[in-house]
Amino acid sequence: MRLRGRPQAGGGEKAPGGEERTAGTGAPLPRPDAADKASGRALFLADLPPLEGPLARTGLPPLEGLLHALTLRSTRPKARMLEVRIPPLPPETWIVDHRDVPGRNRVKMTCDDQPFFAEEVVRYVGEPILLLVGPDRGELRRILEAIEVRYENLDPAFSLEEAEARADSCLVSYQLTRGDPAAAFRRAAAVVEEEYRTGAQEHAYLEPQGFIGLTEGGRITVYGSMQCPYFVKSALVEGLGWAPERVRVVQTVTGGGFGGKEDYPSLLAGQVAFAALKTGRPVRLVLDRGEDIRATTKRHPSRIRFRTALDGRQEILGMEIEILLDGGAYSGLSPVVLQRSMFSATGVYAIPNARVEGKVLATNNLPTGAFRGFGAPQAFFAIESHMHSLALRAGREPLEFKLAHRVKRGEATITGGTFRQEVKLAEMAAAVEEMSGYRRKTREYEEARGRGSGPWRGIGISLFSHGCGFTGSGERDLIKGRVTLRKLRDGRVEILAASADMGQGPQAALRKIAARTLGFGLERVLFDNPDTDRVPDSGPTVASRTAMIVGRLVQQAAKELKASWDTAPELEVSRSYEQPGFVRWDQQAFKGDAYPAFAWGVNAVEVEVDPLTFEPKVRGVWGAYDIGEAIDEKIIQGQIEGGVAQALGWASLEVLEAREGRLLQANLTDYIIPTSMDFPRIQFRLFSNPYEYGPFGAKGAGELPFVGAAPALAAAVSQALGRPVRRLPITPEALMELAADEA
Amino acid sequence: MVGFYRPRSLEEALSIRSQTGAIPLAGGTDLMVQHRMGAGVPASFPAPALLIARLEELRLLGREGSDLRLGAACTLAELLEHPLVPGALKAALAEMASPAVRNLATLGGNICNASPAADTLPFLYAAGALVELRSLSGKRTLPITELITAPGRTILRDDELLAAVLLPELPTSAFFYRKVGTRRANALAKLSFLGLASISAGRIRELRCAFGAVAPTVVRRPQLEAVLIGKRLAEVEGLVPKILQGYGALIRPIDDQRSNARYRHTVALRLLERFLRGLFRAPEEGRP
Amino acid sequence: MKLDFIVNGGPVSLETDPLRRLLDVLREDLGLTGAKEGCGEGECGACSVLLDGRLANSCLVPACAVEGLEVTTIEGLRDTEAYRLLERSFIAAGAVQCGFCTPGLILAAYALLRRRPSPGEEAVREALCGNLCRCTGYGMIVEAVLLASRQGAGVW
Repeated sequence: MRLRGRPQAGGGEKAPGGEERTAGTGAPLPRPDAADKASGRALFLADLPPLEGPLARTGLPPLEGLLHALTLRSTRPKARMLEVRIPPLPPETWIVDHRDVPGRNRVKMTCDDQPFFAEEVVRYVGEPILLLVGPDRGELRRILEAIEVRYENLDPAFSLEEAEARADSCLVSYQLTRGDPAAAFRRAAAVVEEEYRTGAQEHAYLEPQGFIGLTEGGRITVYGSMQCPYFVKSALVEGLGWAPERVRVVQTVTGGGFGGKEDYPSLLAGQVAFAALKTGRPVRLVLDRGEDIRATTKRHPSRIRFRTALDGRQEILGMEIEILLDGGAYSGLSPVVLQRSMFSATGVYAIPNARVEGKVLATNNLPTGAFRGFGAPQAFFAIESHMHSLALRAGREPLEFKLAHRVKRGEATITGGTFRQEVKLAEMAAAVEEMSGYRRKTREYEEARGRGSGPWRGIGISLFSHGCGFTGSGERDLIKGRVTLRKLRDGRVEILAASADMGQGPQAALRKIAARTLGFGLERVLFDNPDTDRVPDSGPTVASRTAMIVGRLVQQAAKELKASWDTAPELEVSRSYEQPGFVRWDQQAFKGDAYPAFAWGVNAVEVEVDPLTFEPKVRGVWGAYDIGEAIDEKIIQGQIEGGVAQALGWASLEVLEAREGRLLQANLTDYIIPTSMDFPRIQFRLFSNPYEYGPFGAKGAGELPFVGAAPALAAAVSQALGRPVRRLPITPEALMELAADEA
Repeated sequence: MVGFYRPRSLEEALSIRSQTGAIPLAGGTDLMVQHRMGAGVPASFPAPALLIARLEELRLLGREGSDLRLGAACTLAELLEHPLVPGALKAALAEMASPAVRNLATLGGNICNASPAADTLPFLYAAGALVELRSLSGKRTLPITELITAPGRTILRDDELLAAVLLPELPTSAFFYRKVGTRRANALAKLSFLGLASISAGRIRELRCAFGAVAPTVVRRPQLEAVLIGKRLAEVEGLVPKILQGYGALIRPIDDQRSNARYRHTVALRLLERFLRGLFRAPEEGRP
Repeated sequence: MKLDFIVNGGPVSLETDPLRRLLDVLREDLGLTGAKEGCGEGECGACSVLLDGRLANSCLVPACAVEGLEVTTIEGLRDTEAYRLLERSFIAAGAVQCGFCTPGLILAAYALLRRRPSPGEEAVREALCGNLCRCTGYGMIVEAVLLASRQGAGVW
């Protein structure tokens, strides 16, 4: 495929244009939703109901009597509520709390331990207690301020260490073993112990969360910003205790998600649904930014400890890895996050003997949840930094050392599955070396530091992977994704799937897959934001599965439709997920193929640390990515550039701290995400490696770009300062302390 | 209750202010955030708003004798575009907030909001700026150092308006300015430092140093500057430790959501040291 | 208070609270939802409008301050040649992902190119530093603005 060997635009290069382009699938097409978004015509949740313009396009009925909702939230990290004193309410104003939940007051997620509304005990600052619902927001604010809650403080835990000290704080714990680590440690000539820590992260999608709920004809309908319409639907079914046919979920144009709208929307949707039911009127709940930061889920903070056994020649005999994640107050998706971080614990390396112990601990911090990478970024920061450290210890160049330990095709994964595809890390590393000048620079910067002269510069490299799709047999046993393609009378085709576009482009990509398979132009293929009344459950929009899994179902259905095209003026074809025959997975023992396919990456990051202020300035970023094949090069480029920026933000800017469970950085002034001035553009190359079960060879691409940037930055900073970096974020404050440490 | 007043002249504004204690509102970039009530709900000020953004008497910008008058209601963008505004002030303005905020925010607003992290203040203190306060009873002109007493507190009376800043002629156009923000743009200062020095015939004729965001108000101490004024350049190196120690005692930063006291204190002094060494071009300090 | 001002070239007269944010007047009273609330504190630029031709965050502007002024929103811009050029450029460069920041960014780009038709990359990045985007990492947006600049003969 023509992309091989040629750098993509970035870092000042001319944008592709006027070059010879093949008509390959990857050639970019204008995204069909882009013009409406750019012009302001696209309606996000908070833009509804529109005063002008066609309501019919949204399918939204008139919202007569629309009520607003404000949330009363806990101000204590752990307490028993003794009394909630509500002032006299004016007409048309209601309280909605746990007593108004007709079904089960638990938000259905991987673990169902979080209530829609706190009952007796509150477990984090920001936990919702009740909704105040009424027609006037100013009035609601005044009433909200007048509500008094009497608490009896209980005994909260905030840090991993505090939680570790408690007997009952373990939310989930797993172990996995490969080979014979005990024997490896018995043979060890030396044991290296290191600890790595990473901080929480806020998604900071530009569109805050929000929902509208209403009753119509004995049913509940919710409209909202979300990634997973069917997750929301099941949560409503549980919370209402109703039959699924009485519940309808419609995704509105969603302004970013990154995992932050994977589970939290289920809670908001339930709340507006109960409110709509109680009041008999449509209810609108939109979080303001400060509230969104203070109340919604965050990336799991981590503490990862290595004990690595080395032989007399500094070769790795085995590793014992302990992963601790902060689950916050409720479990939510934590078990799956932990699994992924454990499956990533040895990175891209063939470590023959390993034991990984993982735990998620409950604290009284904000509940943690899904965030791009889903446990892998934490694990890769740790393993990449640890391997870098082992290399230096052995007197070897880090990239050479890492490549020497890399896995290869046919070898076993950490769970005893097999890497079935070619692993192109060596070629990809060579490409990144060439683009970045890594070899020359790393020598130059080491020497300069040794002489004690010149600017404080460093360049670091990372090797990483991302398992695509849901873990293990989740696709087959839990999700059971299904897609329908409909031939319309006018010859157009509609895709019916539950994939939510939150900016990552399924609107374009799925239509492209269908169009290409059918031999149509894009304009003949329709795909609307999902409405559960109309679309089957193709699964959640998570885990880098949309192109690879759902796209494949679209491709298969399109093939079938094409073959039977002339048999009737209207047709419908559905396809359900079939696990590729080679996948073997034991969920109890964590043995076998945790993922059907892997995407791979190499990053280099060059940094200069300011000697006066210790501010790290990223001077260059380079990458090589194997995502199978690109369905659309611009979409892939967008994921890469966006993922890298977001990861560099996590690694160096985005400080999220809490005192007594209260966030210190609770608005966009204080929670620092990158601006257009903060980081240079990545230069990258894609490596073709088609996956036979992906549409046109595509694998997953949404999360991979996030995984590699932080460890590469950390390695660069380590070189610049001559000190190991073991914690994220890498702030100037932290670097000042690091620089002052005696080596 | 009247929600706002729209005076057509400074006189009228002063009259309303003295009668009602109305709150001066220029760009609104601080007040509209401090008093916000969320989407769809009007901001809630404790007193009526007094709209002063368009009063021409507060937007004068030009020479007055040897001083430069900067009207309090001049926006930061206007100051950035004006040829008479000194480069050292423009350096600070250019790193404030964002282009959109600079189109609304005013010099007077930044001063009267009196945040310890206000970006115009280190320059104004270093320049020895005066502030002109107007009321119906007349005008008083004070050094800016007397205006701001504590974070968010000024001695502006309830019947007064800040009309202008008067900048004396600067001794030099050369300056050393560093703001360390939370990111490269659109950021509040963790700390900042401005140094001005005028050198001729191998001697320091004039020296000004001001630190922002490292104490309740800007740190400037003419007595410490005087240690170097008049000295030959060759003598400066020997005096650097004493100067650092002197400022070290005056800089009292805090731990907050943006940074910590130790970092702010250490880096502020490193910036000062860099500035001083730059005067006699000493070699680079060593590595960690 | 009675507010008279000009929105997208047409006169508007309405009764409103003087301290109601311009953002809410536009979105809720006039149905112009192109300006969005991303933060409510002048940090993200999703609420960007032009006020007498200058870029401003409408979440910071009280209604009483816009008396007699001209407000331009994305809805007012979108029938112009300049907008069409920017839209084409943003789409061609792949600069639109979730789209929430896009109207604000287009206004910021418009404000820049009107004053400075041929900016370099650094100047573009500076001009956009008050518009936050979480999806793109800004690279493709900068490319879009440079593209619009290069192709804008006679427009800027």
